[in-house]
Formats: sequence, structure tokens, C-alpha cells
Amino acid sequence: MRPVRPRTAWKGLLVLAVVAVITVWAGFGVQVDVGALIKNFSNAADKVVLLAQPDYGFFPETLSALAQTLQMAVIATAAGAAIGLPLSFLASRVTDPSRPLVAVVRSVLNVVRSVPDLLYAAILVTIVGTGALSGVIALVLFNVGIVVKLISEAIDAVDRGPLEAALATGATWVRADRAAVLPQILPVYASQTLYVLELNVRASTVIGLVGGGGLGILIDQVRTFYRYHQLSLIILEILVVVVLLEAASSWLRKRLVS
Amino acid sequence: MTSTGDRAADITFRGVGVSYPGGVRGLQDIDLRIPAGEMVAVVGLSGAGKSTLVRTINGLVPITEGEIVVGDRHLPASRGRELRELRSEIGMVFQSFNLARRARVIDNVLMGRLHTAPTWRTLLGAWSRDDVELAMQALERVGIVDKAYVKAGNLSGGQQQRVAIARTLAQQPKIVLADEPVASLDPPTSHTVMRDLERINAELGITVVINLHFLDLARRYGRRLIGLRGGRIVFDGTGEEADEQVFADIYGRSLTGEDVLEARAQL
Repeated sequence: MRPVRPRTAWKGLLVLAVVAVITVWAGFGVQVDVGALIKNFSNAADKVVLLAQPDYGFFPETLSALAQTLQMAVIATAAGAAIGLPLSFLASRVTDPSRPLVAVVRSVLNVVRSVPDLLYAAILVTIVGTGALSGVIALVLFNVGIVVKLISEAIDAVDRGPLEAALATGATWVRADRAAVLPQILPVYASQTLYVLELNVRASTVIGLVGGGGLGILIDQVRTFYRYHQLSLIILEILVVVVLLEAASSWLRKRLVS
Repeated sequence: MTSTGDRAADITFRGVGVSYPGGVRGLQDIDLRIPAGEMVAVVGLSGAGKSTLVRTINGLVPITEGEIVVGDRHLPASRGRELRELRSEIGMVFQSFNLARRARVIDNVLMGRLHTAPTWRTLLGAWSRDDVELAMQALERVGIVDKAYVKAGNLSGGQQQRVAIARTLAQQPKIVLADEPVASLDPPTSHTVMRDLERINAELGITVVINLHFLDLARRYGRRLIGLRGGRIVFDGTGEEADEQVFADIYGRSLTGEDVLEARAQL
């Protein structure tokens, strides 16, 4: 006998209604004013016109800040990846027989990861002072969180056969992890490190806004004085660097993982 | 590689039982003695406890009753150093080879030296000349030293299993355990691998304990056969003594083509 078609349409409608109510509530909460948007449209259009005309003559003055942004990204990536690798092994159940330790490492890193990079930078600027060092430390904290999350998940998914074989030779866990697990995750590790570098170039431009060094500081300066042509050039530079880096890293990563 | 005399280790099971959490019994009342230098085949249906039996010898499966004595070492050993020392004397070959496929062949064989090299060397992969020499000799013994610098994953199944055998030889073990070593291989390759195991037993005097599903292989290569059924030993004797009736006891039915490697090959 064929089953009666279940009547489930009302469930979908209910979900839709709930989503609509929450959205409208959120809109009123932040006072979305469509009228103001239309009223100020000419204002926005002016700025867009200004931004569409980058001041290329400003380029030499941005070079040192651009270099600093890239240097910050590279150093933070290297430090974050180096610190993150051993921590990833501690954060995986596959490579570490001690469950309490895994739980501790995981929960500490969950906290580290839940703080946004901009907040780290803002706090560090008050401790270390403005400049690239605050920015780099903020990025490292941000990176360790990401690396450990991604790599420990890769470790959780490795083939456990080689690990069992290494342990069966009488090796300690640390040695067996090194010999049997590390070779399996190296390509993923290299690929994620490149990804973190991409994230860092993007993040390090913003971190400067709160005093963390690099292009961000420059953005803050020209914005304060309404120099939109110069701001436009900086944005263009960031765009070009990020696009180039992304292309290079995705090209490399494809070769690493396959 | 060292000769047998000073390295001999008998394996003795006394009233060994294994129960898994949830009350499933893997092994019951196992009393067994395997003198050093023997080549033993363990046969039985899947689920009969073959894998569990060989894995108790190196402590990969902890026993819950009785004791096992290997040479002068006792199981259950406390985890840690005592267990690792026992394991370092016992090589193991697996059905699915269990190689680090992205690492080179030589690095896989050097895993057999993990138990003795200093930690910094194992972490950096900076192996001593002596360890590399031992690994190369092990590869020569199984005839694939020319593949030493090839990625393990790029080898055929039979070659990978021989790398795994070389890995156990690099341990300079007294005992080699093989858990269905040819179950993933085609018949001609199966014989190559079985002959490798036969040779390390004959030439190096290493005790070899092999789980086998195929009876003709077990009869041909095992000078002694142990039949398991439902976690108990139901037969222990020579290949000649193991006639059709004995196999019917072990398998709980008469033989079919499925139980014989050569028959499968002819299909």
C-alpha cells in the first residue's frame, strides 16, 4: 500500500515566519533608515567619484608601509605556523593518548580563536605600544588559533594504520607521531600556512587602524584628513596584493595537496 | 643481522582470555607454547579471534585474563617503557601494509629503528649511518633496495608489503607477527611475500606467527597449524595432520573454493 503523503508544508512556512520576524526585529534594533540612505545618496556618490581617481603620485610614500604590512604578515605566519604545529598534535585524539590534555589544549585554543584579531591588536597597543610589534603579536595569536583548528582536524582524519605500525615497533607516542602522522599532514600543513599568509595580508592592513603598524596606520592618517585620492590608491594596492597573493597561493596549494 | 642463538624467545600463553568492553569475548582459555624459531600459521573464519590472538603477543590488544610470557618478558605489561621494550623485539606486518604512503620507502623502514635512536634524531629525521645501513640491508633482504628513495605510496601492493617486512627486519626482532599479510594481494604476489616470510624464518631464525585465511597457503608455509573457532583453539598440529575433517571442525562446514587461494586464482 502506498503511504499517505505527509503534510509537512506548515513546518517550512513556520520557519520562514520565524526568520522574517527575527530579521525585522534586528532591522528596528539597529534603526535601518531607508529614507536616510536615499537622502544622502548624493553624498555617497561624491565620495565614490573621489575614490575612483587614485593619486598615483602618492605611491612612493606608501611603499614603506606596504612593505611593513607584508613583513608583518610573513613573520606572523612563520611564528603562528611554527607554534601551531606541535600544539595541533596535542589537540588531536589520534596522536595523543592523554584525553585531559587534549581537552585542555582544545578549550584554551577555542578561547584564543574566539577573540577577533582587531581586539587583540587594540589590547596589545595599550600594553606594547603602537607599532608593528603589537600588530605582529596580534596576528600570531590569531594564526595559532586557526592553524591548530585546521591541522588538528587534519590529524584527526589521518590513516591510523601507520601509527599503529610505528607503535608496534616499540616507539613512544612522540616518535610514532613524527614518523607516521607528520608525513601524512605535511601537504595540508603547507597549504594551510599559505592560506594563513593570505589572511594575514588582509588582516594586517586593518590592524593598523587601531595602531598595529603597516598600511592601516597610513589609511588612518589620510582618512582623517579626507584625502580620498590617496586613500583610493592604498585600497587599490591592497586589492592588487591580495589578488596576486591569492592567485599564487592557490596555484601552489593545488600542487601541494594533489 | 644477528644470528639466532642469543636472541631466541619462546612465546607461552597461560589461560589467556580477552573480553572487549560490552562483554564480547575475543579469546577464551588459550594455552599455547610457540618455541623460538617456529613458523606457525593461525587459521580460522573471520571473527574466530585470529587477529586478536596475534595482537595480544605485542600488547596491541590487552589481555583480560591469564598471562603471556615472551622470552623473559611478561604480559600484561604496564604501559610505558616495559611494553615498548617488549614491542621492540616483535615485528608486525599488517593486511593493509600500514606504511606512511607519502614518506619514502627508506623512511618507512627506518620506523623499525624508532625504538632505539635518540629522540632528536627521530624528530629531525637525521638518522645515524648505522641505522640507515640496517634499513638498507633489510631492503636488500626482501629484494627492493632499488626503491629506497621512492615514495612508498607509489609502489605496488606486493612491494609495499615487502617494505613492511623490511620495516620489521630493521627492528632486528626475535619474533615477526603477520596479520593476514597476503589478504590484499593477488596469488603470485602472495607467494612472493609468503616466501619472504619463510626465508626470514629459515635464515634468521626469527619466530614467525601468521594469520591466514587461505588453507592451502597455511598448509604449504606453516609447519605448524593452529585452528581457532569462536575464540578457542580447536586444532594444533602439523599441516599433514590437518585433513578435510579438521578443516570442517575449524570452519564449521566443509571446504569451498572461497577457502583456497589457488581455487580463487582459477576463477
